[in-house]
Amino acid sequence: MLQVFQQPERFPELDAVSQDLVLRQSRRAHLLGRLEAILREKGLLDRLKPRVRNHLISARNLVREDRRMLTWEVNRVQRALWNTGLDIILLKGGAYVFLDLPMAQGRPVADLDILMEPKDFPLIEACMAQHGWEQAKLHPYDQRYYREWMHELPPLRHRVRMTELDIHHTIIPKTSRLQPDSRLFLSSAQKIPGHPGLKTLAPTDMVIHAAVHLFYDGDFDKGLRGLLDLDGLLSHWALDATFWPQLLPRARVLNLIRPLYYALHFCHRLLGTPIPETILAEANADPQAPGMVARVVMNQLIARIMTPGNPDRLEFTSWLAWSLLYIRSHWLRMPPRMLISHLTQKGLRRWRFDVRNRRIV
Amino acid sequence: MKIGQQSQQELRRHLGSQGLRWSVGPFIVHLRAKVPNFPQFLHTFYGENLLLSPPWDDIADFHLTLHPPPGLRRFWRPKVHFRLDGNAFFTPFPLDHAPPLFEWGLNMAIASRSNHYLLFHAAVLEKNGNALMLPGTPGSGKSTLCAALMLRGFRLLSDEFGLYCPQQKRFMANPRPIGLKNESIDIIRAFDSQAILSQEFPNTRKGTVCYLQPSAESVHNAHNGAIPTWIVFPSFQESQPTYLETLPQATSFLRLAANAFNYETMGATGFECVHAMIQSCSVMQLRFDRLEEALSQLHTLTQSTQPTVPT
Repeated sequence: MLQVFQQPERFPELDAVSQDLVLRQSRRAHLLGRLEAILREKGLLDRLKPRVRNHLISARNLVREDRRMLTWEVNRVQRALWNTGLDIILLKGGAYVFLDLPMAQGRPVADLDILMEPKDFPLIEACMAQHGWEQAKLHPYDQRYYREWMHELPPLRHRVRMTELDIHHTIIPKTSRLQPDSRLFLSSAQKIPGHPGLKTLAPTDMVIHAAVHLFYDGDFDKGLRGLLDLDGLLSHWALDATFWPQLLPRARVLNLIRPLYYALHFCHRLLGTPIPETILAEANADPQAPGMVARVVMNQLIARIMTPGNPDRLEFTSWLAWSLLYIRSHWLRMPPRMLISHLTQKGLRRWRFDVRNRRIV
Repeated sequence: MKIGQQSQQELRRHLGSQGLRWSVGPFIVHLRAKVPNFPQFLHTFYGENLLLSPPWDDIADFHLTLHPPPGLRRFWRPKVHFRLDGNAFFTPFPLDHAPPLFEWGLNMAIASRSNHYLLFHAAVLEKNGNALMLPGTPGSGKSTLCAALMLRGFRLLSDEFGLYCPQQKRFMANPRPIGLKNESIDIIRAFDSQAILSQEFPNTRKGTVCYLQPSAESVHNAHNGAIPTWIVFPSFQESQPTYLETLPQATSFLRLAANAFNYETMGATGFECVHAMIQSCSVMQLRFDRLEEALSQLHTLTQSTQPTVPT
């Protein structure tokens, strides 16, 4: 499957069994729409059997709906915040779509993430409530969890459209050990040409954010998609001569060399992303880069979860790698005492929920 | 080779090892199953479907499994899981309810992966190359009417999905066992004593369910689509006179768009397809109390209207 993403010309030549496997692995990795976009761009769709093409067209229609939803949702958020005069900084999928980056073609989007200044939060929350957004998580513990410890407000959901909106104030939980100065993200955000009132992070920050999200957020179900996002961003910004010289210094200022090191390393190693040798060497030699033990362990775990296996069942080694990475991401997210109390809270709630439901049945 | 030409032992052996592949209209299903009563259901209700044997020269649209959970649960209140590509979408069913679990699972698989078609929640039948679509909500009498029309010689395209192909401007056929629920089981049994019905599956989430074998003619012609010609919204209403009325175009449009599962996903294509349909089809509403009266109305309708071919 990874070979097909790097050399799409090979896909039509594969036999039916291999094509079937690629389709199933891509679907599992949330990459079927992306595969369609890559094959379409190369003019390869017409060379496929109708049955194979139908699955790709079906995926295309789904990601196009996502894109319409996202564009409309941004429009609605702009309308809700119109009178405040605040600029909206789009993060992740929203940014890729509004910048019309090539890697946004065929990429599914589930919800909208924006970055705003904490001092404006009371005003923003009031506006959103007035325009039909409601709290998606009502439990008092969840509310406190987000407001005190996370990098975003508790998620909002629109009452009618049921779409989710995450309002961030920084890109990494407040309780995490890595603490970048969030004002730096805000002050270097850039206007999106042709879309007044909308901004994105600077190119370097966008890459660093994607790296933090992939290697520190624990959402490894979409791991391969996250790595392909990074590959797409790096390949795109590489066209700009000022990008590479700025990247590592920026990560140093933000205190986020570690996630960036992993991003560069794994893009280079697993996807063959064209990253200058000097940049790789510099990241490698940085004092903040991970130590030998961490590198060896991460090499094993990341390679394991990024390689799509049998689509019918999760293999034990993948499950183990996934579990270890999940634990690691929680470990990085909060100090141990807090982690224990958080897991106890969540566990108790799940147990109470089970007991209550069993009584109903 | 047809499924019905294999012995049940052979079917069981294949289902338990590399699985069976067969075609159902435009789709190829690949199923592995370790469930005792399932080969019998397959043998009777998919008996006319063509089995595909290796080496495969095409992909399968759906890779499905019906397996009991591992461990001791095999013995205590045994259950069965349905999985699509290894993902379980439903809570497990009791082991002897494998057939409804398979049918609903396959419906879910089709609904989630067929966004290259505009998908209506409707029964579709064919007469002389023209399609009669009965879009309906549960309880509207859609499946009962569909079963009765098939037993009176209409070709069954589908009991659950109107699969409309925007390129071919036709409904695709997906003839499968018709799921009858509650009262309609006895109505169909009384309507045609020759009808081949499965055992009844009581206490499902839709009440008691029973399956009617699709006619052999329907399965043999599953590669042929049909042009949308008549669209009739059935509405079963007790102690009301049977009444067939034409719907205004604006109402027809809204009701059809609301009936399609993936109208929004299809974007502009969805709008264009529904627009073409209300232009070229007679769109009507059928209120009925008695099955025979409803059938006679539909017979008259499908004989009198000159089919119009959409351009």
